[in-house]
Amino acid sequence: MIEINNVEKRFGSAEVLKRINLKVEPGEVVTILGSSGSGKSTLIRCINGLETLSGGAIRVDGNDVSTAAGLAAARRRSATVFQLFNLYPHMTVLQNVTLAPIHVLGQPRAEAETRARALLDLVGLTAQADAYPQRLSGGQRQRVGICRALAMQPRYLLLDEVTSALDPEMTGEVLDILARLAAEGTTMVFVTHEIEFARRISDRIVFLEAGELIVDMPAEAFFSEEGGLAVPRIRKFLSKMTKD
Amino acid sequence: MIRSWNALEPHLGFLLEGFALTVAACVLAVAGAVVLGALIASLRTARSRAARAVAAVYCDLFRNVPFIVQLFFFFYGLPELGIYIGAFETGVLAMSIAGGAFVADVIRAGILSIEQGVIEAARVFGLGRWQIFSRIVMPNALRVSVRPMGSVLINLVLTSSILSTITVNELTGTAKIVAATTFMPFEVYAVLLVLYAALTYALSLAVAGVHRRLNRGMPEAVA
Repeated sequence: MIEINNVEKRFGSAEVLKRINLKVEPGEVVTILGSSGSGKSTLIRCINGLETLSGGAIRVDGNDVSTAAGLAAARRRSATVFQLFNLYPHMTVLQNVTLAPIHVLGQPRAEAETRARALLDLVGLTAQADAYPQRLSGGQRQRVGICRALAMQPRYLLLDEVTSALDPEMTGEVLDILARLAAEGTTMVFVTHEIEFARRISDRIVFLEAGELIVDMPAEAFFSEEGGLAVPRIRKFLSKMTKD
Repeated sequence: MIRSWNALEPHLGFLLEGFALTVAACVLAVAGAVVLGALIASLRTARSRAARAVAAVYCDLFRNVPFIVQLFFFFYGLPELGIYIGAFETGVLAMSIAGGAFVADVIRAGILSIEQGVIEAARVFGLGRWQIFSRIVMPNALRVSVRPMGSVLINLVLTSSILSTITVNELTGTAKIVAATTFMPFEVYAVLLVLYAALTYALSLAVAGVHRRLNRGMPEAVA
């Protein structure tokens, strides 16, 4: 379970996250919605330890991310997929996927490569295993990003606007894979602007507004008249987002 | 003219001995400068303010003092401190230290050019600081900085001629002796010209090779 208790994050005088409380149970898909600058990505970056907390605590399966040992343990349980892919540019696709399994999990190279190739098969990148990231399309790169995360066999998958840098066709490629993972019961914390997709795969939807978590409800309720749509801010957000 | 080339022949062996010493000094100093430069560059980009300060002072100090002054400083200064090493070793040490300051600057530029997100990915996936430095930061920094580093290293090779001023009979040192004994400075220095050019050309080929290897998979325009 990911437990987020009273988390605060300040950059100088700017309060980016204000007393956020959130729990993600194993097997759940929790989508975080909100406009740009509402703190969605910062929340993900707090969970994976790229930002230090200004207040509160985050525990991943009981491991406090604000301690060095806790963070190391938390990072073995979760894996992140990034908006801009952040692949290692000097390594082939296969090397990108196997780096952490070999050097962090201590898997033998042959085993790591077999697993990696199986993952690449799954996302349709069998032929690209020995290519360098620069040779791939955005959609292909993000599929590699997903494989790199899955190769760690994480309990929690953290997805930070993973389709924001992709055109609609490539977005489709990536979302298909995420839908499959969701159906298989992968736990996900999903920051996105893909409202329709979020509606389809999420168990719960959380809405951030200017650093505050203003709504946390089941996906169905979020999109219903008496649930999320009854909140003026969310009604406005959804009408804007679905018009585009 | 032809007679004068013939007159040089008995001294060729001596000149080649000098050349061998130059090659030895350069190989050691290039290795030393690269290792030291990588170390200083990593300090210059470290989190610790003290580490950054030490590295910055190092670079400024050794880039802003003429090499011959540094060389004399070590050659005459080290014995004063009770450190007795040979002239050749002193020369290699001074070249490594001076070259390291320039190499550090070039590698630092390479480190700063790495996308922060790539390093963040490595951190999130649980790689340790040393693993990130050796497996992510350095390979990416070097792919950018290996070419400018080539110019620095070629300069370092040319600088090795100054070792002749501290009794090291490398190529320039032997040439001075041969020129003085044969009274044929033009011919002697023509030989030198060819040998130095060959040495630096070999180095630039090696640098180009390393650059190609590090930039596998990059678009042609960059590679």
